[in-house]
Amino acid sequence: MTSVASSRAVRAKKKPLLQRMGKYWGFYLMFIPVLVFVAVFHYAPMFGIRYAFYSWKVIGDPKWVGLANFEKLFKQSQFSVAFTNTIVFSVVKLLLNTGLAVVISLFLNEMVSLKFKKLSQTVIYLPHFMSWVVTASVFSLLLSPSDSGLVNQVLLKLGVIKESVYYLADKNHWRTWYYIINIWRETGWQTIIFMATLTGIDPGIYEAAAIDGAGRWKKMWYVTLPALGNTIITVLILNLAKIMNLFESVFVLQNDSVKRATNVLQTYVYYQTFNAGASADYGYTTAVGLFRSLVGLALMLICNFASKKVRGRGIV
Amino acid sequence: MAKEKLVKGYITPAGLKVQGPPHLRKPKSQLTAFNFVNGLLFIIVCLIIIIPIWKVLIDSLDLTTGYGMKILPTKFGLDGYISIFSNQSLLRPLWVSIYTTVTGTFLGLMLCTMGAYVLIQWDMPFRTTLANILLFTMIFSGGMIPSYLVMRGLGLTDNPLGPILLPAINVYNLVLMRNFFEGVPKSLFESADLDGCSPMGAFFRIALPLSKAALASIGLMFAVAYWNDYTNFKLYITNRSLYNFQMKLRDMIQSSDLPESVGAATENTIRNACIITAILPFMILYPFLQKYFVKGINIGAVKE
Repeated sequence: MTSVASSRAVRAKKKPLLQRMGKYWGFYLMFIPVLVFVAVFHYAPMFGIRYAFYSWKVIGDPKWVGLANFEKLFKQSQFSVAFTNTIVFSVVKLLLNTGLAVVISLFLNEMVSLKFKKLSQTVIYLPHFMSWVVTASVFSLLLSPSDSGLVNQVLLKLGVIKESVYYLADKNHWRTWYYIINIWRETGWQTIIFMATLTGIDPGIYEAAAIDGAGRWKKMWYVTLPALGNTIITVLILNLAKIMNLFESVFVLQNDSVKRATNVLQTYVYYQTFNAGASADYGYTTAVGLFRSLVGLALMLICNFASKKVRGRGIV
Repeated sequence: MAKEKLVKGYITPAGLKVQGPPHLRKPKSQLTAFNFVNGLLFIIVCLIIIIPIWKVLIDSLDLTTGYGMKILPTKFGLDGYISIFSNQSLLRPLWVSIYTTVTGTFLGLMLCTMGAYVLIQWDMPFRTTLANILLFTMIFSGGMIPSYLVMRGLGLTDNPLGPILLPAINVYNLVLMRNFFEGVPKSLFESADLDGCSPMGAFFRIALPLSKAALASIGLMFAVAYWNDYTNFKLYITNRSLYNFQMKLRDMIQSSDLPESVGAATENTIRNACIITAILPFMILYPFLQKYFVKGINIGAVKE
């Protein structure tokens, strides 16, 4: 009892705040550059959100309009297309990439030749490091309808198509190829996190399964896959929280003929502001951006809650 | 006869072939049907990844105009690359990319390590507040247009500093760095403090030297982000003489805004050569650096 009491007394004698802060003055000084950067590049734009309630043409001054921008926004069919596309593109791409990454990891894990395994990993991680511009350039040449486009040439030779198709200029083909290109670029990279989980599985479990008479497929199905369960959920949650950020991958693959049908919120904001000439309204596009940020925030909070439930810690 | 049954085992020093107990036995055969199909599967997967890149590579080295399917260039020549490196309008964006990447990576690492170092001072008053100020930016942002207006107000649009300064503060990388620093034993900092080492001294003499691998991982992340940056240039740079290589490449693919060709290089050859130039520095370094990238993502995401 006495020791408890005395330790309490010691805690109560904590030095005053200023004195404790004084001890750390060097650290506060070190943090100033970070704070300045965050203030300028992250917090200052947050104050710009007020323009969502203004009308601000390119020439002229901001004019208070109340909620008019939001009324306009929900009436625009282009906006609802962009909003649906943002959700659909991100969710489909997330499910496809994650699903395929799990399958590839499972089979990569069964590889006997270590050298070949390493080589495969090196190759499948590679496209992730190519910029979206490069990826889009590679595929626009590959899918080109001219006789240099490999895909058209192969399909023509095989007799699948009768004449060259301009894949990226047709909105239905565009969607398909958007997913394919995303799979090509990101699936390999996503396997890293699954491979890390798989190397952590206790080999004893496999031995036990073997003793119980499980073959290779049964071991994959009953041991390896369940071990990935938690990681799969984590990956889905982490990525779901970020789906409103979709921009560059769509932007670089778009062209004029599919723009309207394939816009996502960020590209819509971009075109409405920078490609609309004198009719551009910073107020209106800020309102679209604010809507996007708020949906993003809601998703983040939901995912954070889900993450705490599932794995005991939040995502930020 | 009995001796022959033991053939599939180990050879003892005495030259006898003995079959070990089951758990020590070598796997029977390396080439079962499953392994064969599995290997084949990954050959196909690798081919799917490689073919698009390979196609660009051979087209960049090919001087003929009849294309289609081929594995090697029909008429080999380096004229595409010569056209790039002898043309001012392409060399300039390349130079912009290089200096943006070098200065940006340096600045990014500096902010990242300094911020992370402060955030591991557990007894520091307001440490959590400072951390929350940073973390909040990960869940909410002003959006594209307010950011643009701020940049314009600061005179950072059409300014080469814009795309260097803006991505330098990366809260995600800062949190990664903090996770690395947390692995440095606290007692090291305490004994340094007792020996009269200043916080700055401990930063340069203890924290940084002990996290070289982290610096490599995060530095590479910054470098790749800066080299590949397109969005920030697209938003904040309109002056063509300030374009980086990604912007230039995008322009060339979209339009026929091509440099004058040298020798026998066709339009297609130059386009392909540009793509290869944009990924070449990375392709050369990648095999040696792969482990750092993998390490980075594993620390960040799988930390349980």
